[in-house]
Amino acid sequence: MIDTPSLERYSRQMRFPPLGKAGQEKLLAARVTLCGCGALGTVLANILVRAGVGFLRVIDRDFVEPSNLQRQVLFDESDVANNLPKAEAAAAKLRQINSTVTIEPIVADINRTNIEDFCQGADLILDGSDNFEIRYLINDVAIKHNIPWVYGGAVGSQGMTMTIIPGQTPCLRCVFEAAPAPGETGTCETAGVLAPAVQIVASYQATEAIKLLTGHSAAINRELLILDVWENTQRRVKIAPLAGRKGACPCCAQRNFAWLDGEHGTQTTALCGRNAVQVSHRVQGKLDFAELARVLQHSGTVTYNKFLLKFHLVENGSPYEFTIFEDGRAIIKGTDEPEKARTLYAKYVGH
Amino acid sequence: MAITIQIPPPLREQTGGRAEVEVSGATVQAALADLIRQYPGTATKIFDNGQIRPYINVFVNDEDIRYLDELNTQLTDGVVVALIPAVAGG
Ligand SMILES: [Zn+2]
Repeated sequence: MIDTPSLERYSRQMRFPPLGKAGQEKLLAARVTLCGCGALGTVLANILVRAGVGFLRVIDRDFVEPSNLQRQVLFDESDVANNLPKAEAAAAKLRQINSTVTIEPIVADINRTNIEDFCQGADLILDGSDNFEIRYLINDVAIKHNIPWVYGGAVGSQGMTMTIIPGQTPCLRCVFEAAPAPGETGTCETAGVLAPAVQIVASYQATEAIKLLTGHSAAINRELLILDVWENTQRRVKIAPLAGRKGACPCCAQRNFAWLDGEHGTQTTALCGRNAVQVSHRVQGKLDFAELARVLQHSGTVTYNKFLLKFHLVENGSPYEFTIFEDGRAIIKGTDEPEKARTLYAKYVGH
Repeated sequence: MAITIQIPPPLREQTGGRAEVEVSGATVQAALADLIRQYPGTATKIFDNGQIRPYINVFVNDEDIRYLDELNTQLTDGVVVALIPAVAGG
């Protein structure tokens, strides 16, 4: 039993009739795993910690950079100056916001070997990531272990979100059968992103989280919500009939967890003594170098021939050279850290 | 028969920046063929070996064609066909 004074800070949301004191107590007892703490993730963490979610595990592999500050609401200039990992910087800020809940920061690259541990015991998984590899991994783990999760994505002025309850709603693979191949749709680095677009998407995700954690699954969004803050559009497209896609969904119908089992996704190998990392990313078909070059030319210099594409860029004063092959494999020179190479690949080539 | 195809931002470079294109066609297949006739650059963005790319969903008046009649889904005058790719960033 929680005494009344400690609940005073939540009085305004407890006064919201569907929540009440009972809903608040459920939030305080809830455990959430947040995968990624960038633009979506910082908004999600901010809302959930203020709302009194009792345990939040925050996982992110990156460090705070100046270009994050435009939209990643928990970070400030001192975090950049101190070169802090995002998970740690976020945890410090979140503990100042609410010292009565537990925050567990984890600085790690989420991959198929660790994601099941990170999600163990969670009542809910939230997508705060910026790439489809992590989203398909979350989808596999969520379906395998029967944990609800909420997808969100944003690029430019556009965003989308859907809520997945295993066994009740379509899963991510019911709706999007495969990830866009590298370079085929924009990333926030190549196409830009407006803070309101990503923050609105995250706010919808956080609302879904509050519903799910307080036992109001009847109120969740069962459609694919798509919005564009520049074009003033918002639409809900019907996806419920896609659930399991008549037994054909490889994930939720056939329980083939291809991303978790390593049949899809990215593997990295440090190339010793060369200050380079090989990123092997399995794609369907071949990369379209002309299209990839067109996208990358905004971020650096690009040349390509029939066999490979070279991309040079300077990021925070450090030069990097990508050599990308048509099967999606890349050698990234300028780092010997696999996590940095994966980050660069996801940022510029995407998946 | 007037059909409106809504073009998502990643494909607008191929439609000269246009967010909507008026086409004609009695089925989704025919309507997309008319789009490609008007804007040939959209062909490889939408199709791969004759199949719609797996990260692009096609909705007819907000209904997914995968539970209608796929590319053979019949269109009537005035309907809106939306091409919706997965949004990756965040
Ligand atoms: Zn499924």
